[in-house]
Amino acid sequence: MTATVTTPVARRLPRKKTVVPWLFLAPGLLLALVFKFWPMAKGIWLSFFDVRPFLGDQWIGLDNYTRVLTDHRFQDAIGHTLVLGLGQSLGAILLGFVLALLLEGQARSLKIIRTAVFLPAVTATAVVGELWRLMYYPTSDGLLNSGLHLLGLGPVQFLDNPNLALYSTMAMGIWIWAPYNMVIILAGLAGVDRSLYEAAAMDGVSLWQRLRYVTLPAIRPALGIVLTLAAIRGLRVFTEVYVLTGGGPAGSTEVWMTRAYTLGFTRNDIGGASAASVVLLCVTLLLTVTVNYFRKRGDAR
Amino acid sequence: MRDHRRSRRPAALLVATALAFGTVACGAGSGSAGSDDPNTLEVWTRSNPDPAATYERVFAAFTGKTGIKIDYQPVINFDQQLQSRASTKDLPDVMINDTALMGSYQSQGLLKPIDPASIRGGDEITEKTWASTVGIDGKHYGIPYSRQAQTLMIRKDWLGKLGFKAPTTWQEMLSVAKAFATKDPDGDGKADTYGMVVPGSAQNGYAAWWGASFLWQGGAEIIAPDGNDTYRPAMASTAAVHTVTWMKDNLFCGDNGVTQPGALTAVTSTATNFQDGNAGMYLTGPYNIATFDQTLGKDKYEVIPAPAGPAGGDVLADGENIYFGARTGKTAQERALAAFLISPEGQRLAMTGENQPVVRIPVNSTLNAAKVHGDARWSVVQRAYEDASEQFPNAPDFAPIKQDTADALNAIFTYCGGDVRSQLKELDETLAGDLKDQDLLK
Repeated sequence: MTATVTTPVARRLPRKKTVVPWLFLAPGLLLALVFKFWPMAKGIWLSFFDVRPFLGDQWIGLDNYTRVLTDHRFQDAIGHTLVLGLGQSLGAILLGFVLALLLEGQARSLKIIRTAVFLPAVTATAVVGELWRLMYYPTSDGLLNSGLHLLGLGPVQFLDNPNLALYSTMAMGIWIWAPYNMVIILAGLAGVDRSLYEAAAMDGVSLWQRLRYVTLPAIRPALGIVLTLAAIRGLRVFTEVYVLTGGGPAGSTEVWMTRAYTLGFTRNDIGGASAASVVLLCVTLLLTVTVNYFRKRGDAR
Repeated sequence: MRDHRRSRRPAALLVATALAFGTVACGAGSGSAGSDDPNTLEVWTRSNPDPAATYERVFAAFTGKTGIKIDYQPVINFDQQLQSRASTKDLPDVMINDTALMGSYQSQGLLKPIDPASIRGGDEITEKTWASTVGIDGKHYGIPYSRQAQTLMIRKDWLGKLGFKAPTTWQEMLSVAKAFATKDPDGDGKADTYGMVVPGSAQNGYAAWWGASFLWQGGAEIIAPDGNDTYRPAMASTAAVHTVTWMKDNLFCGDNGVTQPGALTAVTSTATNFQDGNAGMYLTGPYNIATFDQTLGKDKYEVIPAPAGPAGGDVLADGENIYFGARTGKTAQERALAAFLISPEGQRLAMTGENQPVVRIPVNSTLNAAKVHGDARWSVVQRAYEDASEQFPNAPDFAPIKQDTADALNAIFTYCGGDVRSQLKELDETLAGDLKDQDLLK
């Protein structure tokens, strides 16, 4: 713009500029408002009531929260949720990293394998659950047990042994989420400066040193994203458990969300289920903020 | 830069406000237009596509006869969907669902009370059947539609091959189950057959649903009437301890193969070993007869009364009721539909046809199950329902009681080293809490 432009026009311009982006955002915001923020607000509101839509809701203050937090089955579920959430997230990140290292490159065959490896991430979890139920089938007819049978082992009760069921669920969770992490880490790996590898090779570093001092620092941003996503979804694990074990046997795979679901939809205690969900929301929020804080602090260093 | 940011705020506020108003306007304008038509009834049933086809035929006949249209919705996750509809205070006009859910729905105020005399043809339903729809306040909250009792489906060919007769007691049943598991009844030289199918998961209360028949047969109750419309928990009784111990020792923690692998995480949809042909017995509802005829073959299995335990041969009876949603304002049309559904014509339509029947034992006493189905096996089911069956108590909200019982039974059967007596005592205390929540404990 030239210097001859008068001041009022210059003042009006930014205002127009600020409205337009919001208009473009409007459709998305509207959807988010109707389908996300409004139900969320309603859920928080309901958590303070004894919910009885046709008899009139009753305000009971924090009763739902005390009931949920003192219920011994919710307390058991906390332990299972932490083990499953942590194990599944870290396992999926590790496996995703290994897969990304193995499958990085431009060759056509690698592209095909990458697509094949990514399939679990786009398959409906219900289908994956049915698949793994078959693989875990507790006789030598099951895929895994037939393998063990060849080695003279088993059969292992993957899902019916209460000491093992949680870890069997974890293995399926890792299988589902690792490819997703792999894609993000692959994108990070593509941005690593090749000359760094060449320089490292000339210095004669070992494979481990190359990973530790070249690759890992270079894909920090990608790892940050993967960690944030893990923090968000790790604790709200539900579908994997619901389709594979339904929380059983003997409640050994019951996690926070399956318990909330039972409370809401089998026992018709919507208020209690809302309170449980709000507790989880707060914990997840806290966890996400913490992860982000450490990520930013790391970036600043 | 600073100025810029400040001017953004009012704009954002403006957009957000506009959006909020837009939403409110949308919400007010787009009411459910279809359900407001007084001549259309919205009807829900908990059905898979196959039985839903039977319902479609029944409702088409009703519309042809009365001109009242039916907006039919077969819903699989019925209670989840119903909860979300309840939160919008707009219920379906008519619902057909399990008898055991009546107390739960009534306690939430979801149902209209029903005067049996107001339903044309209501006098063709027996007193005993009507009695199963009385709520906690003495009023009726449902109209009986279909009834059933569990029977034992057993492989006829396997029995013949191994030289066994159909079992009539628990002991005989156990011997047959062990023989089915170990004596290779399918003759393929591999140990790949099992005695009986059990949907033993706690999910949706299956362990309690399947285990109830055993409890009745062992002389146990889950909760028992305690006078004055109150109940007491009854799972710590000697009979309950004996029965549950017998089940645990013989069916779950004894010899391998009496029950199918994975029984303790199986629900009815995943417990397919009987129809797959690798398990020999299944204590279940007669709705499976159509499925088993198709997958296994009519000549391979028979339907027999459940083997008796120490206290008799009572099995769990359940079925479906017709419920009227609260505050729908279409009472006359709803009554007309109910009258058609329980009439001989309506019941007969629902019992016949190519698809799965949705009426098993007719509630209309002028009909005979075996005659209408054209299948003598149904008389076994009808006799079991009439002479040797017991329902879950219908008045209390039974959902939490069933769920807690299922959780406890599943845990007892899973941990073979546990002490049944103390575990049942713990269940008894939980049940007392459930009853207290409903003000039903003395």
